[in-house]
Amino acid sequence: MSSLSFAWRSFTRQPARAALGVAGIAIVGALLFDMLLLSQGLAVSFRDLLEGVGFDIRVTADRFVPSRASMIRNGTEVLTRLRALPEIEDAVAVRFGRAEALHSGGAHVLVNFMGVDGAARNTWTVVEGADLPIDSDAAGPAVLVNRTLARRLNLSAGDSLRLRGSCDPRRSAMPAIDFQVSGIVDFRFEAAGEYATVTTLSNLLRACSPTDRDAVTMFLVASGPDVGPDAAVRAISGVLPGLNPFTNQQFVDRLQTAEFSYFRQISFALATITLFFAFLLIATLLTVSVNQRLGEVATLRALGFRRKRVVADLLWESALLVGSGGLLALPLGAALAFYLDGILRQMPGIPVDLHFFVFQGRATIVYAMLLAGTGLLAASYPVYLAARLPIAATLRREFTS
Amino acid sequence: MVLPRAWIPLLALVSSLAVGSGPVVAAEPMPEVPRVLLSRQLVEAQGLSVGQIVQLAADPAGVGARSYRIAGVYEPLPDPFRLTAVRLEARFHLPDLIGLTRASDDPLEAESVTRVNVALDDPDDAQAFARDLTSRLPGLTVQTTSRPLSGSNLFVILDRFHAAIATVTILGSTAFLLALMVMRSEERRETAGILRLIGLSRPRILLEVFVEALLVALAGALIGVLIAAVVQGLFNRFFQWRYDTALVFVRVTPGIALRCVAIAVPLGVLAGVVSSWTLLRRNIMSLLRR
Repeated sequence: MSSLSFAWRSFTRQPARAALGVAGIAIVGALLFDMLLLSQGLAVSFRDLLEGVGFDIRVTADRFVPSRASMIRNGTEVLTRLRALPEIEDAVAVRFGRAEALHSGGAHVLVNFMGVDGAARNTWTVVEGADLPIDSDAAGPAVLVNRTLARRLNLSAGDSLRLRGSCDPRRSAMPAIDFQVSGIVDFRFEAAGEYATVTTLSNLLRACSPTDRDAVTMFLVASGPDVGPDAAVRAISGVLPGLNPFTNQQFVDRLQTAEFSYFRQISFALATITLFFAFLLIATLLTVSVNQRLGEVATLRALGFRRKRVVADLLWESALLVGSGGLLALPLGAALAFYLDGILRQMPGIPVDLHFFVFQGRATIVYAMLLAGTGLLAASYPVYLAARLPIAATLRREFTS
Repeated sequence: MVLPRAWIPLLALVSSLAVGSGPVVAAEPMPEVPRVLLSRQLVEAQGLSVGQIVQLAADPAGVGARSYRIAGVYEPLPDPFRLTAVRLEARFHLPDLIGLTRASDDPLEAESVTRVNVALDDPDDAQAFARDLTSRLPGLTVQTTSRPLSGSNLFVILDRFHAAIATVTILGSTAFLLALMVMRSEERRETAGILRLIGLSRPRILLEVFVEALLVALAGALIGVLIAAVVQGLFNRFFQWRYDTALVFVRVTPGIALRCVAIAVPLGVLAGVVSSWTLLRRNIMSLLRR
């Protein structure tokens, strides 16, 4: 009989015990798997979102996360200089503001108001109606609204929407302007429940008449296909040293060490505790199992089973326990990740398409290696016990007891 | 006002040029320099000390920098929402801040503030006061500081996340405990057989198992709470060092300790009794392997 068959018989001799052991490993393994997904999930998901927009560089005044309090002055000149760089394929100026949406029904809703100068690529996806007209200024002010706002104000493409803009942090008392809803869109970075609109930069300035009309919040930049974002960032820094250009990867790296670090650290702490727990579980189950079978092991040795064979039997038993529990942990972990992701995505301001738990092949490999290593380490003590067993003394003790 | 990272080299440079190796001692009467408080993190990062004169500007390029004397150092209020931010901050008298940050001659700008904090004589009037002020001053957002936590509050969500993980951990522990107790019962199979043989009834043996499990579970739960109480200090110290904050991350309160004991003890007792019952319900001969 092979070591594996022998280990299988030992493993299934007490089904209740085996089932409970496997269940314990499966639950602990599921938690470990989830923590590995969480450690990188946010960064992977955020990178996908950033890259999906179609721009690989962002340029802000002085910080990574753009805000209305930190603006780039002389936006027109900066945009011209950016577009003139041979390393750059396209650049778009973006300005964020707020607006009060006044509906004919009397509802007043505060909305995020974005103005763009140029083709914004995949920053939004039109789900109804049409995109912003190329010459929106000539055709009359057009605006795109997200689905949440459209539902709230019962808007469809072609409807009219009055907006009173506010581009300065201070509240303004600008007259409201009538926009025509050109289409309904999904913004790539919109949060659940967020009301968002976008129009051209010139229409945004008309609606909110800011103190500095030539200031923009940031530039979205696409590097040339043969250049790459790093070279383009160097080129931008060379001609515009006062600004803060950064690639998507630099942005994600910065988030990993700052904003996302809480989840990375909690996942590390929980993964460590989980591994320790798995070690305890496997070591205890195997040690107690070996202790109960000392007489049996001594008999086998007396019958001629080599020490290596006994060690192999125990290692296979450990592999069966960890392997079956570990495999069961994968679907269990996926279900748990789905549930936990649902909880965390309720955080305010989180983009709808951002996920905390993202399946990655690398995480699965790390999970398998960690669990296998823990299984081996946990099996070492019971294996040592069985390998060093004094045959005659054990048989005598078993016989007399 | 938070100083952007880009300003700090400027601040350091201007500061070192202005103060040399120590506080400036004026030989002649000088106009009073406005005073400013700096955060501990900023003072440590730039090697500043109380009494020194620094120059601060609202512009990243240092345009319009003004001199201020460091009147004191303060520990920023721990703010979980700004956990990962480097707290390089300064506190000005409001007129000094407005004077420093004014971008235009617009008279409205000198009269603008971000928010006004109000302390009421009777805090119970907060809701009514907020309603009243909102109706009198349309356009203002008036919020009480004691709003009930809604389901979308960050900390309510994190609490739910931690509770879900705790539940999974409890399930895993229960499986572990049951497996262990089943093995332990199996080890005591013959002892149970002998006890039955000398006349002890099943309920009597089960009562002993119950008491034993209760004592073991209580001891285990108390040791667990003790470990948590010790580890909380290490955990807090690590994260306070990591984020340079005075925020408390873990606090083992009596309520939490009680909740742990209330979950762990019944689980331990149940595992002990269930595993023993599966053994005791067999007949005596089977227990004695005869």
